[in-house]
Order: sequence, then C-alpha cells, then structure tokens
Amino acid sequence: MDASEREQYRAAIHGDREAFEMIIRTHSRTLFAIAFAILQSREEAEDAVQDSLVKAWKMRWRVRDPEKFPAWLCMIARHRAHDVFRRRRPVPLSAQIIEPVEPEPNGSSALDQQLHSALAALPELHRAALTLRYFEEMDYRTIENTLGLTNGALRGILGRALASLRKQLRPALVSTD
Amino acid sequence: MATVHDEIDNWLAADLYGELSDEEQRQLHTHLVECAVCRKTHQETKTMNKILEETFAQQKPDPAFEQRMLASFRQRIPERSGLLKLLADLMRLRAAQVTAVAAVLLALVQLGRMITGETATPQRARDRYANEQLFEQPSQVAATSEPDRAGALEKSDELAAGKPKDLALPAPPPSSGTRSELHKDFKALPATVAPAKTPQAETAAKEIGSEEAMNYVAEPSSAETPAPELVNRKLIRNATVELEIVSFDDAVQKITAFAKEERGYVATTDSQKQANGKLRGQVVVKVLPENLDRFLQKIRGLGELKNQTLGTEDVTKAYFDTDARLKNARVMEQRLVDMMKTKTGKVSDLLQVEKELGRVREEIEKMQGELKYWDSQVQFATVTISLVEKDMEEPAAFLIKERSQLALYAPDVEKIYNDIKALASSKVQITNAQLNRDYSGRISATMSMLIAPEESEAVIGRVKSFGRVENFQTQTERIAQGGTGMAENAKTKRDKVELNITISREEQEQAFQQTSLRIRTSSVDEKARDLRTLAEKQGGRACSSTFTRDPDGRELANIWLRVPMKNYSALMQSLHSLGKVEDVGVHRQDRTGTQIDEANAPADISIQVYSQGNIVSSETGLFATLRRTLTQSASAIMWSLRMIGVAVAFLAPWVIAIVFIVWFVKRIARARQSKAR
Repeated sequence: MDASEREQYRAAIHGDREAFEMIIRTHSRTLFAIAFAILQSREEAEDAVQDSLVKAWKMRWRVRDPEKFPAWLCMIARHRAHDVFRRRRPVPLSAQIIEPVEPEPNGSSALDQQLHSALAALPELHRAALTLRYFEEMDYRTIENTLGLTNGALRGILGRALASLRKQLRPALVSTD
Repeated sequence: MATVHDEIDNWLAADLYGELSDEEQRQLHTHLVECAVCRKTHQETKTMNKILEETFAQQKPDPAFEQRMLASFRQRIPERSGLLKLLADLMRLRAAQVTAVAAVLLALVQLGRMITGETATPQRARDRYANEQLFEQPSQVAATSEPDRAGALEKSDELAAGKPKDLALPAPPPSSGTRSELHKDFKALPATVAPAKTPQAETAAKEIGSEEAMNYVAEPSSAETPAPELVNRKLIRNATVELEIVSFDDAVQKITAFAKEERGYVATTDSQKQANGKLRGQVVVKVLPENLDRFLQKIRGLGELKNQTLGTEDVTKAYFDTDARLKNARVMEQRLVDMMKTKTGKVSDLLQVEKELGRVREEIEKMQGELKYWDSQVQFATVTISLVEKDMEEPAAFLIKERSQLALYAPDVEKIYNDIKALASSKVQITNAQLNRDYSGRISATMSMLIAPEESEAVIGRVKSFGRVENFQTQTERIAQGGTGMAENAKTKRDKVELNITISREEQEQAFQQTSLRIRTSSVDEKARDLRTLAEKQGGRACSSTFTRDPDGRELANIWLRVPMKNYSALMQSLHSLGKVEDVGVHRQDRTGTQIDEANAPADISIQVYSQGNIVSSETGLFATLRRTLTQSASAIMWSLRMIGVAVAFLAPWVIAIVFIVWFVKRIARARQSKAR
C-alpha cells in the first residue's frame, strides 16, 4: 500500500467525502465479489454492497489504522451479505439454486446447474477466493489481504476449491472433452 | 517430486493463476512429464477453469456498476452542511473524544455527589486528627473569618440600603426651605402691618429671634391701641416677665425708675430670702398701655429673661353693657326719688319705694365700681415681674460618699469569709454577707460592709491582705446638699465608706498570660508525669490533663498548668529538658487600669506532649511531601470512583430499562416485518 493510498484512507476515515467516493470507485467491485460469493445473486449482492458502503461511511471513525481500511470494508460487506443470506433462510437453498435453472433445460445449462451446486457446496471462503480471482483477476497476495488471510494460505484454499469442483464436475468435464 | 504430486491441486491452481515462480513452473512441468495422473488432472483443471471463467464472466458486474454504487451512496448519505458536519467531524477527533469522556465522568462524579451529598475531602485522616487535636486552628480561622464575612455582608447591606437613603435625602431640604420661607413671610407680616413701629423695637425683634416671633405678632395689634377703630374699645393688657438678676434691690430700684419714666407706678413688691441668702421676689408695676412695650424693652436689660407672656382682654362689650344698665338704673333712681318727693300714697308704699331705691342705688354703685375698675384696668397695663437672683441653687453643704469594690482570689474562700466577718465592730458594720457554693463545688462569697470614714483605710488594707487582689475600685461621690453646682464656702463632710467584697477561688481567676506550646517526645506518658512534677516545683499545679493514643501509635497528652508569673520563665526554661518545644504561642492580657500583683498573677500554660508514632517519620522533606501528595491523589481517585459508582448505580436501572424496551420494540417490529413477508 503506497503513501497516497494510505492518505486517501486516512482522509476518508476523517470524513473526507471525496476520498470515500474514490474508495467506492476502486473497491466496490471487490466488495461485490465478496457479497456475490456469499449470496450467489447479483441483485442481492449489489444491495448488500450499497448497504455496506453506507454503513462503512457511518462507522468509518471506528477504524484506527488507515491501512486496514480495505479489509474492514470487506468485513462489513461480508457481514452485510451474511445478514441478507440469513434473512432469506426460509427459502430452501437447493430450491433457489435449482429454480432459475429449470426454465432452460439444455446441455450447457445442465453443466451450469452442476457448477452452481458445486460452487454452493464449497465453503464460503473458498467461494470468495474464487470469485475474487475470476471477477477481479487478483493475484494471491491481494486476495489474501482482502480476505484477511495469512501469507500462503490462499494457495491451498484455491487448490482445494478447484479440486473439489473438478471432482464434482468430472463427468461433465469428460463429456465436454 | 513427491511434494508436487501430493499437492498437485495447489500447484495446478497456482500455475493457472500465474502464481508460480519460474523454478516452481519448471518443477511442475518436470512432474507433469513424469506423472500421467497429474497430467490428466492438469487437463481437467484447465477445462474447468475455462468453464469457470465463462460462468463468472456472465455474473461479472457491468461497467456502470461503480457509478450505480456512487449514485446510491450519494442518495442515501446526503452531504451534511454547516454546524452539524463540524460537530460530527469534531467528535471524530481523539482530543474531542477524550474531552467528551472526561466530561461524562465529571458529570457522573457530580451526579454521585448530588446523590450522596458528599463533598470532596480527600484530606488524610491523620492530618485531620492532628489539626483538630493540636491546635484547633481550622475552627479558629473559621471563627476569625466569620466576622469578616459578616462585616462584608453588612457592608453589602449598607450598599444596598445606601440607595434608598440617598434617594430619601433630598426630600427634607424643600420642606425646610418652605418652612424658612414661611418664616420669612411671618416676619414680614408685622413689618407691613405695623409700619409705625419704632426702629428700636424692630432691631430688638431681630435680636430676640424666631421663637418670640409670636409675641411680635401679638404686639403690633396691641400696640395699635390708639388706632382709629380701636379708640372706643376697652382692652385690658397685662404682662408677666421672669428675670434672673444679680441683685434684687438694684433691680427693684431700676424698675421703679423705669415705671416713673413711663408714667406708671410700682403697685406691690414682695420678696423672700432663701436658705443660702439669695432673694426671690415679685414686683407688680402699672404702666400706661401705650407705654407697655417700651417698658418691657427696658426691663429686659436688667438681667437674663427667663419667661415673658403678654395678654390682652377685650372687655368692650361687658363695659358698654354695664354702662347702659347704669344709665337705666340712674333713670330708675331719678323716678324713685321723684316718687318719694311727691309723698303721696300710703306709708307702706313709701317704704316699698324706699326699699326699691336702696336696691337700685346699691346696683348703681356696684356698676359704677365695676366700670371704675375696668377703667383703671384699661387705663393702666399690669406688669408682673418675677425676679430671681443668680446662683439660687448653690449648695449649702457637701457629703462625700466613698464606695469601694474589691475582688479577691483566695485558696480558701470560707476561711477568709469568716476572717472578714470577725472584723465587725461598731465602726465596721457588715450589711450583707453571702457564701455561695454551686453544683460543681465552686465556692464564692460576696460581702458588703459600711465602715466609719476614719477606720476605712485600715480595714480595707486588712481585707486586701487576706487574698490576692484581682481588682479594687474606689468611687468617691460628692453629694451637694441644698442645691447643685459649686459653692465656695459650703461645708464638706465624709460619710461612711461602703465596701463590697467578692471572694472567689483561685481557679476562677483569669490567667494574666496564656501560653500554648507543643513538645515532641518519644515517651509521652512519662514526660507528662515529669511535667506535672516540674510545675509543682515551680509553685504551680496542673489544672487538667488528657491523654489519647491513636491507632498509628501516636500518643497525645494535653496538660494545662497554672503557675505564678514570677516562676513562669523558670518553668519555660525547664520545659526544654523534656523534649523539642514547638509552636510556642503567648497571649497576654494587659488589663490596663487595674492594679494587679503581677508577680503572683497566674499564668496558664497549655502543653501538648505528643509522639510521632511508629510508622510516620518527620512530616517534612521531599519524600513526606511526595507520599502525602500520592496519598491525597489516591484518596481523591477513590472518592471519584465511588462517586462514579454511585452515579452508575443510580443510572443503571434506567439504562437497563431503556435498553430492554428498545430491544423489545425492535423485536416486535422485526417479527411483524417477517410476518408481512
């Protein structure tokens, strides 16, 4: 993190609106990725990001170390997404995943459906790491920073995530090959 | 390369995401060439990556995503303006937060204080103990400062009252002004009414002053007797004058001369001689009414005027009534005389007529006498002059009365009481003797006696020798007999001497000198006993003593000694042998105007013997100060904590209740929301 970035975070913490808006421009996609990883829904993820940005602005004074500001933002987004996720609990998870797939009963959608359920079966952290990787093409270090992981942990996480997906999708993969 | 094979998933993933170093990439490729299983996995992973990329690419946020986020943020958080923003920003500052917390704590402390009604007194208990026991300085200070404060209050009261006073002040002058104006008018009046008055009289009027202005109002009207409208009026004027003169005879001569000048005469003179040879008397002078005023002026020059009254009686109506009736009576007389002259009729009738004539004549005479009297009264004004010689009240003799008050202090009151009683004889009469013993066993006696003048000196001397004289007062009074003031040749006589004696026990005597001091020593008990013996050696005694020991091992003895003044300095010297003498304070009462036997006068010494205790060392020095400060701050903090605790305890139920209510309301709201969904 360079000095200008840190200065930006510091200004945002001290109530500089422009700095905060700049942070929104640079970081909202990351937040979206995190929320999406949890919710698996673009609309809900967008709402969650909006909510968490508002909350972050209101609670920004709680952050002491400007360097931790991005991680803190991510944490807020994750909590917010969890809240949303919890609230929709009454709707069964499997049903929701199956629902949008049903109207498209072709081959590729079958693979999609399999992929969805495989992704849903992954631990949340794995899903988040994957999402960040594929959405933002982030390198390992940035992902680790964003998710608050220690150095080197991500390599195992992504490896396991890919392996798990691969195992579940093997039949489909073979057929496509 | 077992590690690569075992963790092939991680390696492949890292390879996929370009996270392998060149060395690692080389290792992976080597392994993939060797291991068929891993090669297959590599293939599958690559395929899956493609699928994943495709899938995620669909879900990726569109390019306008950031703009949407910004727009919603701006919509939901409208930019704050002005003061609110400033306040919100301010609260974000560390210093502001600290201040706010401090303010809250202070408020809590204050609240705690209000609840408990306690004030911050983090004074050390030990110090307090010392202060109260040793010197009672705080109370003294309070006592001395109290009147000051009271004085200040009074002053402020005065200030407050000052305004009304000042406001009230200007009121009188106008009234006095009007009075003086009235006065002027008053004085001016006679001047206008009586322009004929002689300048001499006018100057005299000014001399006499305002109080006699009344007389001058009356005078002009009376002085106008010859005025046209008053010619036929019959006025009787009289005056009384009281004068103090040097010689009675001279005055009478002069009055006679004045009366002659004014064509009057001295009607009567009478005089009395007083016991001191001075004369008092009265002279009645008749003068012509028109000369009355001049006559009075002259008389005033004789001596000091004490009193003067002027009276005028108008007898005009009565005079003319009588005059008319006289004329009628004369006519009646004439007719009766005529009846007698004719001599007709019976004798009885004649007798009747004669009788009637007699009655009428008698009446005529009476009326004539009355008129004559009035005439004489009107013709001459009557001036009654009372004359008193000066120094009328000079006394004839003097009586010297001597009264003495004697206050004695004695060790044995009763013995002296009896001794004095034994002095009684024909020349010494005891009029009153009283021996009192009060509930606490204190004895006092009061005696009164009358002593023949020639014996008085000796008797008083003897009585004085019985005890210590605290006070002796003699009052001599010269009583004049038969008058007041001075007299050159009056006789002087001595009366019996009255002596009042008060005898009290020595303890009650107020000390001539009071000393307070402290002695620091290690063994208080022992030194206190030493002190007692020392005092007895110097002819004194211990009047009271107390001994206390506090929990710190500090011992404290208060001893009050009384010694005669002559031994005072010796005792003070010997005190130094007992320990370190500190804080010596001497208070001496110089009773001026009373003869006192200073050598034997009692001196009080209040001594405080104390030890420093076992734990506490000297109370001076850096460490003691430091310790004291620390203890004080610690107790202050403890006190604050206690207050905060009280406040929190006070507020806690409310906070809990409010939080519970809020939580409950939120829960209900949430339940409703979920139900609606």
